[in-house]
Amino acid sequence: MAANTQQRHGIPDTPFDVVSTYRRLLAEDPDLTMPVGAIEALILGLANTPASTVSETLDLVSKLTAQLKRSIPNPISLSAGTDLFQQYLISNLQRPSARGDFDHIRSHLVQNGRLFVERAKAARETIASFGRHFIRDGNTVLTNGGSRVVGALLRSAAESSNGNARGSIRFRVIYVVSPSSSSGSAEESESTANIAALREREIPVATIPPTAIAYCMDQVTQCFVGAEGVVENGGIVSRLGTLQMATLAKAAGKPFYVVSESHKFVRLYPLGQQDLGIEQNIVDFRTAKGSGSGTEAGQRKEVKDEGVADMEEGDAGVARTVGAACKPEEAVDYTPPHLISGIITESGVLLPSAVSEELIKIWF
Amino acid sequence: MPSSTVGQTPSLSTYLKSLKHNDIETSIELFISLLKRRQIRNSRSCAIATISLLLRVVGEVRTRDAQQLIERIRAVGRRLVAAQPREMAVGNIVRRVLENIREVAERDQDPAESDGSITTPSTPPVPGETKQRPALRTKFSEFSPLHGAATLPQDMNARAPLSASSGDSSPAIAGMAETALQRPPLMSSNTSFAPQGPAGSSLFSILQHPQGRSPFATPPAGAQSPALRALPAKGDEGPTSEKLDIKAEVITAIQDLQRELEEVDDEISEFAQDHIHNNEIILTHTSSQTVQSFLMKAASKKRKFTVFHTEAYPNNHLETHDTIVNGSGGGSAEDADERWKPLTSMGITVILIPDSAVFALMSRINKVILAPHTVLANGSLIAAAGSSTIAQAAKTHRVPVVVLSGVFKLSPVYPFDTDELIEYGDPGKVVPFQEGEFMDKVDVVNPVYDFVDAELIDLYITNLGGHAPSYLYRIVADHYRVEDIDLSGGKGEAGGAVKAG
Repeated sequence: MAANTQQRHGIPDTPFDVVSTYRRLLAEDPDLTMPVGAIEALILGLANTPASTVSETLDLVSKLTAQLKRSIPNPISLSAGTDLFQQYLISNLQRPSARGDFDHIRSHLVQNGRLFVERAKAARETIASFGRHFIRDGNTVLTNGGSRVVGALLRSAAESSNGNARGSIRFRVIYVVSPSSSSGSAEESESTANIAALREREIPVATIPPTAIAYCMDQVTQCFVGAEGVVENGGIVSRLGTLQMATLAKAAGKPFYVVSESHKFVRLYPLGQQDLGIEQNIVDFRTAKGSGSGTEAGQRKEVKDEGVADMEEGDAGVARTVGAACKPEEAVDYTPPHLISGIITESGVLLPSAVSEELIKIWF
Repeated sequence: MPSSTVGQTPSLSTYLKSLKHNDIETSIELFISLLKRRQIRNSRSCAIATISLLLRVVGEVRTRDAQQLIERIRAVGRRLVAAQPREMAVGNIVRRVLENIREVAERDQDPAESDGSITTPSTPPVPGETKQRPALRTKFSEFSPLHGAATLPQDMNARAPLSASSGDSSPAIAGMAETALQRPPLMSSNTSFAPQGPAGSSLFSILQHPQGRSPFATPPAGAQSPALRALPAKGDEGPTSEKLDIKAEVITAIQDLQRELEEVDDEISEFAQDHIHNNEIILTHTSSQTVQSFLMKAASKKRKFTVFHTEAYPNNHLETHDTIVNGSGGGSAEDADERWKPLTSMGITVILIPDSAVFALMSRINKVILAPHTVLANGSLIAAAGSSTIAQAAKTHRVPVVVLSGVFKLSPVYPFDTDELIEYGDPGKVVPFQEGEFMDKVDVVNPVYDFVDAELIDLYITNLGGHAPSYLYRIVADHYRVEDIDLSGGKGEAGGAVKAG
């Protein structure tokens, strides 16, 4: 943590680098999810910067949030955390009688940073303990790898004694492991760890490449995936390949469950894959003359110029997102809600149509 | 076993009569045996019997403490649900009663709140608070209690404080208990969201103050979730008149529920005019009273339409024939006041068709009207066997499927394993036992119910109006509390109480 005693008048975030703090937190604790890491980083930012007025605090938080969102290529997941934190502060600090309580809140937040992390992890354990109700004897579960929550859920189901000491649940797992993930070490190591843990508990696990999902779908009883973010209409933003699995599961009539903690609900309403607000060069057209970003930018400019009178060239937004494009192994896609059978959170199973109500409650 | 019903086949009406002069334990046992022997069958009968029984149970409970009342109802409910887990109406009614009790208890402990509002009151209401709209209970579907007792501490009684979280007790849920303490501060003056139930700001629960530190509100002693928080305290402080209120108000609420059960058909029929028009061809299935009264209402408004009525062989065809010809009162033929005229007497053409003809005729049908046995939390149905075929045929031909069901049939249970919800009946109805040689060589199954997926349904008409399937979660949330979804979990109870009978 950057040791600083910058006075109030200074720009608070200059000595305190929220982005590097955020990255550091995520790297240090592999169990930390992105939204909670963002909340932690913001809290550390609050701790570092003495602020005595409500509006100063809120201002500081929004500055740090903007910084975070600018520098991370895929800010959807962490924005769930930052939005939650901001709304929490706003709703708590803008009450008329908040004056005396301001210090309380601030000190509570600052002192209990670890507590929030623990609660977030506990949410995952709660979800995992639901596992034994979802998975019955003889089921075959399909999952794409890399989700810690799904791994915990499957492990809990594997270990469970079926609630009445009748012995553990006998099920099988098909893990989708993308062969190109050798460079994506985080995902692969997560999958490998999960697979090893399940196999140790006598659960047969098969690994298949993504191309075999349709092939194996008729053997599957249900699918579980994790999510980076749950969007407002009940759809999810998740690792690239999830949409594929969901579409195939729907076509085969298999239930498709999303497993996610509730702090990942984000206020985003995408209308399609291109509408996520992040830049991913997944579909990258090239010709022999070489295209790369040059032609793309040119094309983009052309498209923007047509019919839109007030669009300037060299749009600051365009330049920004091009600069912070997602790496291929961190690519995400959007799965619409009609493909999802249920969202399993620590509060139980939500229908996709119920997500917006949860979000409305904190935003309005 | 009581001797008052000697000589009569046990059924709903004999049971209701016997309730008057049997003691509670006998009545419970009698009901359990009726359920187990399937002498009391369809949803409405079970619901009526359950509510009458619970009315007596509440009437006899000696305590004034709402918490004990809740425990008593839960204990009774556990036994009833265990007797016949597939009769979801029993569990639904138990949970409705529990919800009423909790609501009454909360209303009582905060008399500053306006009566009749369903807000979960906060600890001392923040002055200057804006009007609160009715509480949104946000816990929606939970898992099925049919198999395996849930090992989550759904029983809020046993909730440990955050710092002492045991392996099972989830600090996230405990966090929501703490949010109860924080309810007033979260309502800033420019928002109108009401204080929620335990999960209300589950999204904020991660950030709430740990239990015991509440810079904002001063909770009463024994601070816990809103459902419980004042109840122990209440027992100590409140004047006698307030405690008396709880039982009386609960009884009033239960009687309201009874009235709702009696009027459900009439209320659903109110919407008949909107959905049935002249020259339409309606397809319906089984001898459901609800559907018949729905169609009768439309007919009485001078609509001329045609009804195709599937026979529902082999489980319901005799009743169906009877309904069409004589207009009897569906399943509960012993209730003489339930008889009404057949549709044909109102000038409506009713065509009886075999179940196998459904697909062939579906292209000519305008609308399908179904009455289910149970509606599950995600919108799917458990309906009489044959309904799934009808619904799928309707989907293929793009025919709207309308489902008529009272709210009492709506169960907060999420169907993870649909197979275990299907009940199997007497195979002798499919292949008569006289054909002994044939029966030796084949397995004969007679599923009484079908599972109809939520996607095949276009509209639900309940006594509250018409709803899209995606809206059912709200109705579940409005009528049931999360903590009641799992009826098991008493400290001394064996988990086996909730096993499928």
